[in-house]
Order: sequence, then C-alpha cells, then structure tokens
Amino acid sequence: MRISYNWLKDYIDLNISPERAAQLLTMAGFPVEAVNKIPGDCLFDIEVTSNRGDCLSFLGIARELSAITGSKLKMPLSLRGRSPKQSQKTGLLRPFGARNDKEIQSAVSVKVEDKKLCPRYTARVIRGVKVKESPKWLTKRIEAMGLRPVNNIVDITNFCLFETGEPIHAFDLDKISGSHVIIRRAKKEERVLTIDGIEKILNETDLVIADEDKVIAIAGVMGASNTEVTDSTKNILFEAAYFDPVTIRKTSRRLGLSTESSYRFERSVDISNIAYSSNRAGELVIDLAGGEGGEFVDIGIKTGGEISITLRYPYLDKILGLALPRSEVDRILESIGFNISSHSDGKVKLKAPQFRQDIRREIDCIEEVGRIYGYEKIKETIPSIVEGGDRLPFNRIVDNRIKDTLNGLGMDEATTYGLLSKKILIMSGLEGNIRDKNIVELKNPLTSDQEVMRPSLLPGLLNSMRWNINRKAALINLFELGKVYTKDGNGRFREAEHLSLGLVGEARAFWFEGARPASFFDLKGIVETLLSELGVDSPSFERIEDSLFSPAAAASITVNGDKVGVIGEISGQVLADFDIKEKIFASELDIDAILNYAKLEKRFKGLPLYPSVVRDMSIIVDEGASNAELIASMKSAGGSILKNVELLDRYKGKQIPEGKIGLTYRLEYQDLMKTLEDKDVVRLHANVIKELEQKFAITLR
Amino acid sequence: MKEKIDEITQEALKEIESAKGDRASLEAARVKYLGRKGMITELFKSMAQVDPAERPEAGRLINILKDNVTKALDDQLLSLAKVEEAGGRLDITLPGISRRLGKKHPITKTIDEILGIFISLGFRVVEGPEIETEYYNFEALNIPLEHPSRDAFDTFYIETVDRRPETVDQKYLLRSHTSPVQIRFMEKNKPPFSIVVPGKVYRPDATDASHSFMFHQVEGLAVGDNIRFSDLKGILSIFARRIFGSKTRLRFRPSFFPFTEPSAEVDISCIICKGQGKCSVCGGKGWLEILGAGMVNPRVFENVGYDSEKITGLAFGMGVERIAMLKYGIDDIRLFFENDIRFLRQF
Repeated sequence: MRISYNWLKDYIDLNISPERAAQLLTMAGFPVEAVNKIPGDCLFDIEVTSNRGDCLSFLGIARELSAITGSKLKMPLSLRGRSPKQSQKTGLLRPFGARNDKEIQSAVSVKVEDKKLCPRYTARVIRGVKVKESPKWLTKRIEAMGLRPVNNIVDITNFCLFETGEPIHAFDLDKISGSHVIIRRAKKEERVLTIDGIEKILNETDLVIADEDKVIAIAGVMGASNTEVTDSTKNILFEAAYFDPVTIRKTSRRLGLSTESSYRFERSVDISNIAYSSNRAGELVIDLAGGEGGEFVDIGIKTGGEISITLRYPYLDKILGLALPRSEVDRILESIGFNISSHSDGKVKLKAPQFRQDIRREIDCIEEVGRIYGYEKIKETIPSIVEGGDRLPFNRIVDNRIKDTLNGLGMDEATTYGLLSKKILIMSGLEGNIRDKNIVELKNPLTSDQEVMRPSLLPGLLNSMRWNINRKAALINLFELGKVYTKDGNGRFREAEHLSLGLVGEARAFWFEGARPASFFDLKGIVETLLSELGVDSPSFERIEDSLFSPAAAASITVNGDKVGVIGEISGQVLADFDIKEKIFASELDIDAILNYAKLEKRFKGLPLYPSVVRDMSIIVDEGASNAELIASMKSAGGSILKNVELLDRYKGKQIPEGKIGLTYRLEYQDLMKTLEDKDVVRLHANVIKELEQKFAITLR
Repeated sequence: MKEKIDEITQEALKEIESAKGDRASLEAARVKYLGRKGMITELFKSMAQVDPAERPEAGRLINILKDNVTKALDDQLLSLAKVEEAGGRLDITLPGISRRLGKKHPITKTIDEILGIFISLGFRVVEGPEIETEYYNFEALNIPLEHPSRDAFDTFYIETVDRRPETVDQKYLLRSHTSPVQIRFMEKNKPPFSIVVPGKVYRPDATDASHSFMFHQVEGLAVGDNIRFSDLKGILSIFARRIFGSKTRLRFRPSFFPFTEPSAEVDISCIICKGQGKCSVCGGKGWLEILGAGMVNPRVFENVGYDSEKITGLAFGMGVERIAMLKYGIDDIRLFFENDIRFLRQF
C-alpha cells in the first residue's frame, strides 16, 4: 500500500526522518519495501499482511506509529465530533439513524435481504451538491496515491477510503428508482455494466446493491454506471457498509476484478467505525460541494461484539522466552488499543480494540506484545533438542550413495520439472500412459508445457540432453533422481522415486588414445557398478520391446524376478521427434523397488587362505550366443570352485568363420579349504569346456 | 703380485673408460674382470700360491682393485642410464589423463548443506508426498478457504474427473509448500521431536528470471514442552552464520503466517555489500529476506490433537533456490532446470 508521508503527518506528529519512520514500521511488521522521494513529499510502499486489514489506511498506519513512537494520534475533525451547533448546520451529527429524526421525512428506504452477508449498511443522503473539480489540496492527495482526480464527490470517496480504510460509494440518488436500496443476492446470470465500462455476468453467490428494477452496484467490488455520479448529479446517496469478506472475495476472484474497495472488504473493515466514516465523507461533501445533509439510515449491528481475552503473564514469557515486567506488558497492550479490565493471579483480562478483527485468542495478544516490544530485543537461546532415531531415512541414505557413486563415475546430476506437456510424453513413446489414463493431469495448468505430472524421468532427461547437444557439448552424461507420478485404476495417486541416466557423445576424448563414441555398454557398466555399490546382487538384463528404445538395444533390468528398470538405445523415431541426430543411451531405474534389495551395511569376509588359479580360454561360438548363458554354463560346470568368469576379448576377424565370434574368457578357480592342485584344475577346466561344447558347440581357438 | 695388480688396474680402468656409453662393452668388461672366470676373480683364486707372509697385503690390494673396477663400472652404467632415460623424455606439459568427477546439482548441494546443519543441531530428516489434499496443504495449517491469506499460495489443482471431489480430503493439489508434512508427521508422532523436511513445491507462477512454477523448500519443526521464540532466534542464527559465514547478522521482523504465531520474517545482512545497503542484490536495503518462521499456532496443534496448553513449537521454512542463488551468485532461477552442463559442472 502506498502512503504519502506528508499526508500521514496530518494524523500524527513525527519528529523523525521518513527513513526512520520506515524502519520503525518495518520492524513492527509493516515492511516498507521502498521509500521514494518526490518533490515535497516522500512515498512509502508498505506491505500490509492479510491479517491487518485495519492498517490499509492512513489512520491505521498512524495508529501503529503512535503505538511505537508514543506520539499522539490526531483524529480528523469529524471523527472526533463537532460542537452541536456545527452539527446542526451540516445536519450530520444528529443522533445517527435519521429515521428517528422527526424533522426529515425519509424519501429513501434501505432493505437488507441477507443480514449475514451484510450485517451493517448505512445510507446517507446529501441533496443539492454541486459536482465540480476538487480543490488543490484534495487533488494533491489523490494524485499522491497515484490516482487521477475525477470530481469532488468521487475524490472525496477515494480520500475517505485511504484515510479511514472504509470504502464509501456514492450513488446518484435520482437514478435510484423509487429511492429504494435493496441489498440482495444476484440472480442467476444477472447482468450489470460497471463503471469500468465492462458488463459483468453475476450469479446467486454474488451480493449486489439494487433498486426496484436494476443492480446499481456489485457489493463491495464496483458500482454500476447506471447510478454513477456525473457532472449533472444533484443529489447523492453515500453507502458505507460491512460486507461478508468471503462473499466479496469470491465475487472479486471470480470476476478477476480486485479493487481498492474489494481488497479492504475481503480483509474485513471495522464495523463499528462505519457511521463515522460516512459522517466524515458527508462533512467533506458539504464543505467542498455544498448541499444539505439529509436522511441517514443505519441498519444492522453497530459493533462486531467485544472480544474478552485472558492473558497469562507466565505463558507469555514461556512462548517468547522473556521475563517481561507485567507493567511493561500492560503498557504495550494499552498502547495498541487494548483495554485492561482487571488483574488477578498472574493474569490480565483484556478487551481487544474493535478495529482488530484479527485478535481472538491469548496467543494473538502475545504476538502483539512481542511485536511492539521488538523481536530484536529477545535474546537468542539454544533449546536442548534430544531425540533418538535415525537422522536420515534409509531412502535418503541410498539417494546419497547413488549420487556419490554416479558422480564418481563422471555423471552430472540434473533436475528437471515435475510437470510436462502431453506432447513431450507422446514424443517419448509414452502415449500408452495417456491412453491408459494413468497419468496425473492438472486442472488449472498455466501453459501446455506444464499440463501433466511426469510418469517417467526420461522425457525431461531427453529434453536436457537435447539442450546440451544443441550447445555442442562433446560428452553429456546426466542423471536425475526424482519422483514420478501415476494414478491407478481407482484414481489413487502413486509417487515413486526413480533414477534416470543418459549418455551421449564421445566416451573418451583423450589425446592419449583417441576418441570413441559412447556405447550401450558404457551405460550398462555404470548401472552395474551402481547396483553393485548399492549391494544389489546379480541383476539380470533381458531383451525387451519398448517404444522408447531401439530394437538394437533394449533391455529390462530385473533383480530376483522383480523388474527394477530398463536400459537401451533411444529409438530412431524418438530421436527424430526430439530432432536429435546423435545416438543416446538411457536407463530408468525404479529406486523404490531397488530399495528392497539394497544392502549398504558391510560385513567383513575373511580373506582366502589359499591361492587361486587362473586359466584363459579362447573359444569360437555362434555369433548369436548369449554371453550371460555361456557364463551361466561355465559356472554350473565349474561348481563352487569356479570363483569368477570374466570376458577378456570379443573378436571377429580373419581367423573367425562367418557367423561365428571369437571370445576369450578368464576363469578363476579357487578352493577356500585347500590349495588347488594342478590336476584338479585341469579336470574342472575340461568339464567346463565339455559343457560348452555340448551346449553351444564351441570350438577352442 | 703387486705389479700384476697394478697392470690389471691400469688395463681395466682404461677399458671401462673407452667403453663409455656402450652398454654391451661395459657388460663385457664386467664379465672380463668381475665375472666367475674374470681376471680379478682369478687373482683371488691365485692367492693360495702366494707366500703366506705376503698374503694379507696382496688380499688388501686385490680388494682395492675390485672396489675400483666395480665403482668405475657402476659410474659408467649410471651415467649411461641417465642418458638413455633422457632420450625417452616426456613432454610433461601434456595434459593429465582426465578422470572427471560428475557434479551434484547445486540445489542438491544446497539442500545437503542445509540439512547437515540442522542434523548437527539434533534435527532429523522427514519427507512427504508432493500430491496433497486441500486439508493438509491449507485447512490443517489454519489457512481457511476463501481467505486473503491464501493469496500467497496460488495452487495447481489435480484433475479428478473420476472422483466425487468437494471435501477437502478429496480435493487434490500439488503442495504449494512443504508445511503439510508438519501435519502428517504430527498426526503419527508424539513430541518432543525436531524435524527438517526438504522437497519440491509447486505454484502457478509464470516463469522468469526470479520465478519458477516448481522450486524447493526446506521446512523445520521442533516441538516440545519448552520451546520458545528465543530458541527459534538461536537456532536460525546458528543456521544463517554457518551457511552464509560467521559475520552474518540477522534481523527478525514481525510478520504473518496463518500456521505460526508469533510469526517472523528473517533477514540476513546482505552477503554482497556486507549489509551496507549499497548493492542491487539487496536493493540498497542492506538486508536479504531468506526465511519465514514462527511459533506453531495453537490451532495447528489442536488440528492434530495435541494439547496446545502443554506443548509449544517452532517452525521455519526457506526457499532453497533463493539460498543457492545467493550463495553461488546465480542470477536466473531458470538455470537450475535447464541442466546446461556448462552450468552444472561449475559446482
């Protein structure tokens, strides 16, 4: 909210610089975001939190400064009341409720149909005004607030809104049919042309001000042009009221129309101050536009009811970590408008000021004491936080291990958005998810780029890889750990942690040995190393068909029969859709599934006492033979003595017949109970070879 | 005997000298003099024929001879080795063979640092779902429907055409802050406890250099029978000084959050201009807002069935991107999510 420092000084004597005042306000919970010096004035941009509707005015801010500085608040004349003589002249300070006044025959009537949505409504008539330009002092005030002066009547309503925080609306009385003002709910699809020149379509939840045959204002939001004050207006009707904050907020939000008025009603105005604000506006009109005060109708409750609160001094000290003298607590509370009713036994009974709609409970009073006393004066203490249990949940320990391991393998961590477009899902071969309706969709996306929650990390990863490819990166190796989101047949949502990995470019680009493109096996090696580091035993890789991957290399990764992930080369179609020319290798792992198998705790196993014997074996076999099956056969023939089999070389060339492949394996034999004798090894190794000959028709090279 | 020794000495040293730089000749000389049938070995063997009275002197002379020849050969071989190695001299300015480490994302690094500080203070890490209900995201945190306090929490809602929505338990949304985890945790646990909650949150903000529709928060909550506002100040001061440096000053300003009371916004002295108020990062104010905090509102305790008379709690929340941007001097929030490796590899 904007505050003009000059104008503010009408309500409080301040012997401090604007900067100092700004600092005091900031430290009392009203952060001054900017102090703009303009010729002859200084403008504050003050942030008022949503609980402090009472401070959306010059008087509200002055009241706060008065509490902080001790300088007295200067209420404007009419709010203090005037001498009876003056009041007779203006006709405004007779007992409120002109219907009680026998001198005036009321020509206006007010009917509130919904007292819940409009607990108080006042209408004040002033007849015979002269609509013209405002005097200089008033236009200056209006301009300081960044508004354009309109005419004296409209300017006065704006002036009063800023001064008191109570929105006041002026109707042209002669345009109100029958002079009957009705506060009612709008009818379905009722239409009204508001003063911004745009027709609004209303519904039954909106509150309107109407006359006998039309809507003359959307309550608390904006007046209709049909009763707008114009240069020819002679008689006016001032509305000052209290409207239900929720109703005003709903209407304002539905219409996308936030006004100075709706902003204040949403945050609740001071119901007990309405007549005074109306009075102030009326007086200004008579001063500046002439005319005579007429009827004043005031319907509904006059106050919001008194809020009595008992504050326990020891409880206050306990919450704040202070030991404040009770007299100091009382002084602070009184300075911000609380009334002290009585003291008893470490307690004080308080009455909250009417304008503080936000004060309801003891804790609210404690906050007020802390706020005015000053947070900066509360000394820092350290609590003794003693708690057992793990500092980190297991899944985060695993996450950290994954990140450390992948970093060690040269992979950079990426973070992509959890929201994606449907288009990128389709580009990534995931249209099946959309078809099966198992993706989570947003009701109110901002753009089509953010319309669904990701069911996989790979579309986002591919997007990031494309970004880097387009920027000519030589080697891109990215991973991301994050959640994916799906919906089951019953509409239940599931969040699962996944890991994506992607590799593209030159796997080695050293002067030492020359470049080589990254391959499926580079990525597979990374996945194997990672799983091994997580203590996940013997994952198996099986060929699959998957629309994301090329038939050349696509595999599922399973552990103990559970599918925990996929790995492969991204298919040509997907690459084409992403407009990527390079071969990309990618993998996605279900970390929640892997957690079931992860073993991070280590137990020492005794070192073998007896040496192992190593035998290399070069074989020729059909090119289609599976390495995994060959090794499985060797292990089954070798038994527990065959500790390890490693592929050393894979060769296709002159000495190898067409359709065959040359493989060299290194077999390590070891007996944990004794030193292996040569004859044992010879026998076992012969068994292994025999098994391979029988099963795979291998020949030795 | 002595003459013979002198003669061999002369001859051997001369031969070794002339074999300089030639490994084969040097090796031949070694065999000729020191080998099993070498001349010096033969001299030792011939000692048996020497007059016993002269033997000690002869032995001494032969040993001197052996030492001299051995030394001459070793010297020649050593200098030869140096020459040979120099011939295979490397260009030591060639680059080392890179074993590049991958990097953690700066958001991960920042979250880890934040969590590490709070873990050291006795907090433990807890997580919760990103798809939340209106109840946990708002109602339970004392943020009523249609209340202006919701203005700060514009929210993405989830399409639930296949359900009957209407109640707050069935209206699903993407959490707009990590605070729902406070409620979920308190529903299942009894105080005392102290937790920190990292995670992603979503708000429908148009993306620009300082706004993102997805970002990260870390939330903290400590509840017990004697947790005070002064403790909140103490804990957050330790945190700020550890993460931004020991000279960091803090400022607690009264503020309003529906789920805490009293509430505070916490500023640190500007890390760029050291609080002088002279730079664009702090907008000339000298302070940077980094945290929202406060004492848990008794209504929140009542919503989870705690006795708000017996226990108190402190809570705080911070935006991770903001802290990372300040720490690393990053000026555009979008950089975090583009994953440009030229960016990622800087951290």
